[in-house]
Amino acid sequence: SGTPCSNSPPHLAEAHTALRLPQAGKRACILVDSREITSGLEVISSLRTVHGLQVEVCPLNGCDYIVSNRMVVERRSQSEMLSNANKNKFIDQIQHLQSMFQRICVIVEKDREKAGDTSRIFRRTKCYDSLLTTLVGAGIRILFSSGQEETADLLKELSLVEQRKNVGIHVPAMLNSSKCETLQFYLSIPNISYITALNMCHQFSSVKKMANSSPEEISTYAQVNPQKAAEIYGYIHYIFDMQMLPNDLNQGRLKSDS
Amino acid sequence: MDRNLPEGEGPVHVPLGHIVANEKWRGSQLIQEMQGKIKLVFEDGLTSADFYLSSRSCILYITEADLVAGNSYRKRIVRVRNSGNLQGIVVVEKTQISEQYFAAIQKFTVLDLGMVLLPVANQMEASCLIVQLVQEQTKEPSKNPFLRKKRSMLSELSLVRTVQQIPGVGKVKAPLLLQKFPTIQRLSNASIQELEGVVGHTVAQQIHAFFSQPR
Repeated sequence: SGTPCSNSPPHLAEAHTALRLPQAGKRACILVDSREITSGLEVISSLRTVHGLQVEVCPLNGCDYIVSNRMVVERRSQSEMLSNANKNKFIDQIQHLQSMFQRICVIVEKDREKAGDTSRIFRRTKCYDSLLTTLVGAGIRILFSSGQEETADLLKELSLVEQRKNVGIHVPAMLNSSKCETLQFYLSIPNISYITALNMCHQFSSVKKMANSSPEEISTYAQVNPQKAAEIYGYIHYIFDMQMLPNDLNQGRLKSDS
Repeated sequence: MDRNLPEGEGPVHVPLGHIVANEKWRGSQLIQEMQGKIKLVFEDGLTSADFYLSSRSCILYITEADLVAGNSYRKRIVRVRNSGNLQGIVVVEKTQISEQYFAAIQKFTVLDLGMVLLPVANQMEASCLIVQLVQEQTKEPSKNPFLRKKRSMLSELSLVRTVQQIPGVGKVKAPLLLQKFPTIQRLSNASIQELEGVVGHTVAQQIHAFFSQPR
């Protein structure tokens, strides 16, 4: 029942709270890419144990952390940012994230120091400065972390700020098998993030309902801005033209036709 | 120049590729490092900002001593943030001594106020970074790889991939279905009978169930 439980004994009240639907002040949820299990184990366990956040490990396909319906966080080691060799890869990755997310934050994390290792002394490079200023110029947030534990703390803070702005993650990441099929379908829409696909899974009663929605409905249920909603709407209504299909696929078709 | 605001904090005029510096920085190491790389103009009476990169963007420099001394730097940061159309970039000296205070200033500046914060180890690093910031501001926005419009992929390929996610539909059936029902919306509304014109009975049922079953 939804009655206030001020009269219940304390242990009952506690059980009641646990069952109640999410409300303000509830646990924040963060989606973590499965690759982070190898590279950021301490981040994940800090998020869970120190900060008590709900952490869901999902195949995010290269997005390190999703902290809200619109924000992704890219975790980068400082040494990677310092060297010119990784510059283009980094730019590609950020552009990839830009196609899916409204807001991006980069956490620059100091490399772990090994005893007696003097080669890791931080020497600021022009490449590093230019990457930072390019990010600033594009309005991408940058945070600096001294290690994995601090990174977890920053992620928690980011998710809390986003929650206060009413864009927190409110859907469960766990899915039954038929929902999994639907998720894969939504994920194949170009430039769609995992959290958007997840929202669509939970908020549309059927795929048919989604395919017949107006841009406004898509914006509301998928929790995306009107621009992204229009893009999704455009895709659902895009008229397929067989002749535009790359040759190998098309030719295969023609052969099987004859 | 238009100066009708009381504290002399009206729009500061910054010629392109120049930097306007607060008078108090004259003779500092930071300025010496910048000289020759960039044109400097000194100005009196700039109360909140240390440097102006343009009339809309300025730098607040927080020294190691400011950080160690306490939270008084916050007032200065808030003043810049509240000044309307001025983007404030906070450059902070993060040294062995001030490192322990860094997390607090970062939370305050970036997470609470939503401003930009960049750590430097000393004035020499700061000068390189500031020169870089000016260069970033003077170049065309389209030169920034993160502001460039990306070209979109051909939707035909994506559509085939999307349709392939429907249970029972593979490489061969996906284009066949799209030829008959050329949009995802049309395909989602197809009846079992209509679908049977393209695929067998079982798959037609599978496709129909995928779209219409409550999930």
